[in-house]
Amino acid sequence: MKFLLMIKQVPDTTMINVDENGNLIRTGVPSILDPYCEYALDMINRIKNNEDRIVAVTMGPLQAKEALLRCLELGADEAYLLSDKAFAGADTYATSRTLTAFVNKIAPDYDHIFCGKQAADGDTAQVPAELSRMLCIPQFYYVEGISRDLTGMTVIQNYGDEIRTCKLPHMSLISVSQGDLNRRLPSISMHLEAAKKEIQTLDRVSLGLGIFSVGLKGSKTKIVYSYSPKSEHKCTIIDGTDPSTAAKHILEGIK
Amino acid sequence: MSDCSTCSSGGSCGTNNENGLPPGMLQQYNLNQSTAEDNLVWIETSIIDDKLKVVDVSIELIGKLKNISDSRTIGIIIGDNDVKMLYDDIFAYGIDTLYHVKDKTLATYHPEAYADAIADVANRINPAVILIGGTSRGREVAPRVAAILATGLTADCTELSMNGRALLMTRPAFGGNIIATISCSNFPQMATVRPGTFPMPQPQIGRKGTVMYRQATNNDLKDIISSERKKVIESDISKAKILISLGKGIKKESIAVAERIAAKIGASVSCSRALVDKGWMPQNRQVGQSGRNVAPDVYIAFGISGSIQHKAGIGSAKKIIAVNTDPDAPIKDLCDEFILGNADQILAEMDKMLNS
Ligand SMILES: Cc1cc2nc3c(=O)[nH]c(=O)nc-3n(C[C@H](O)[C@H](O)[C@H](O)COP(=O)(O)OP(=O)(O)OC[C@H]3O[C@@H](n4cnc5c(N)ncnc54)[C@H](O)[C@@H]3O)c2cc1C
Repeated sequence: MKFLLMIKQVPDTTMINVDENGNLIRTGVPSILDPYCEYALDMINRIKNNEDRIVAVTMGPLQAKEALLRCLELGADEAYLLSDKAFAGADTYATSRTLTAFVNKIAPDYDHIFCGKQAADGDTAQVPAELSRMLCIPQFYYVEGISRDLTGMTVIQNYGDEIRTCKLPHMSLISVSQGDLNRRLPSISMHLEAAKKEIQTLDRVSLGLGIFSVGLKGSKTKIVYSYSPKSEHKCTIIDGTDPSTAAKHILEGIK
Repeated sequence: MSDCSTCSSGGSCGTNNENGLPPGMLQQYNLNQSTAEDNLVWIETSIIDDKLKVVDVSIELIGKLKNISDSRTIGIIIGDNDVKMLYDDIFAYGIDTLYHVKDKTLATYHPEAYADAIADVANRINPAVILIGGTSRGREVAPRVAAILATGLTADCTELSMNGRALLMTRPAFGGNIIATISCSNFPQMATVRPGTFPMPQPQIGRKGTVMYRQATNNDLKDIISSERKKVIESDISKAKILISLGKGIKKESIAVAERIAAKIGASVSCSRALVDKGWMPQNRQVGQSGRNVAPDVYIAFGISGSIQHKAGIGSAKKIIAVNTDPDAPIKDLCDEFILGNADQILAEMDKMLNS
């Protein structure tokens, strides 16, 4: 089987800071493979056999190669970076359209597509559904478990108030929402092996996409303005060096 | 010059455009503009305590649309005959026309078929706005609908307003302390909103509306082998009067302490995402943009720094008290009382006092 894995590189959100004007300080913030994508890759590794291939794909700037390298270390066989100046500023619609072009042009022979539930930075969880609709395939969200036997594959989805087990039709999209914290981490030999594999880069023209289909120009949503909220809220500062005085104060306040 | 058919003066008005309209009329009356008008809301249903009910967030969205827009509010509900008993309620909350996509097989939720049904109604009524509740199902269906309609979608909006037919969607932007207002260049403009972001409107008992039946267009259903309903043990933090909220600044042992205090004073315990990420607290207790919005009388934040995403969830709290060791923690901007002290020690003292 051929598994496509759509991944995203995100800034390590635990490391983001803002300057005194409330703007993001992104320089110096390390980028990492989105944790949910890592869970998705781990899930494929659990069901894959020796003939199967895993192809990792991402749209992003050249630095996103690092995230692809991480995928190669963790078991992906091939990696593609969709990178072009014109891709910048894409919303989820333009992103999905670019990924759709990749699938149709480069990997139409896939068996299943895996995604992470959401990117830790944007948190919209929209690309998996938009992509699956553009490819006209069924989507399976909130997947927490997968199994494979001779008759096919099944997934377990957790909707919060319902646990569903579904048969997976050939050519489905699986969006993974939970991972095993004890998953496999890359060893030195996997790391060396990965460094030998090539990451292929594709631009807008090689995907056959027009300039108005991608990036900011191909996006349907635009930021009109943004601001960092500053409140003029007056707050009383209370010395809490003595825990018992503070505790008493709180308990009296909520009576 | 050809004859002008739109006026009686036999072409003397000087029309020379292909539409046969007097010059300047297209611009004057904006005739080349889209005719998108109404607002469409997906009325999501769910089985709550063995009974089919409308999910609260759908009603909150109807209420919000009534406040910000003069256009009609149209609902779409998907399901079999039993959905009928919900009609009165739906009209009472402000829906004018309800499209009921009636199909036995769609009594069960299928994201693909549901998205097709919503898009089908949208194509028929040509709405300016489509709102969908940010539940687990809404967040799955909405982007699929957006892809069918080739339009944009803004997730988890914390505020919505209208400028004419243009919808302005506000949400915290990624990672940092930024709030962004987003617009969509196409009709329909789509947004999802988390439960509890907007208040429940008052029902107008006896209010009437029209029901239109639609056939489902998609028969391509998934093979669901089993479906098990989970009782969601709602400690329901969105309804609590007092919330003791815990963040990364506390020790793990303090969770049990906070639970004990909460039980004594009739409070609930909530948390920041940091504790959910650590696996110390369940996701349904998380407050904030990707968790719940809460509106307690008192919100007490222990060891929570006050990231923009966290603050997005506590705007409706009447009183906010924060306990933090950092005098510059950003939560200070939002709180009424800021106690500069050690959260674990203060929690322990509160526990002691309540036990004595
Ligand atoms: C897309 C996206 C969505 C998100 N959604 C949410 C969301 O819904 N809800 C949410 O909460 N977060 C959300 N986050 C995460 C958010 O950005 C923060 O990382 C998170 O809120 C931080 O949690 P915290 O305040 O508990 O931890 P920290 O920011 O680490 O703060 C800990 C605080 O504890 C204080 N402290 C330390 N020791 C003590 C002590 N002994 N006594 C008292 N105080 C002490 C510190 O001074 C500090 O202020 C989201 C992030 C992203 C990118």
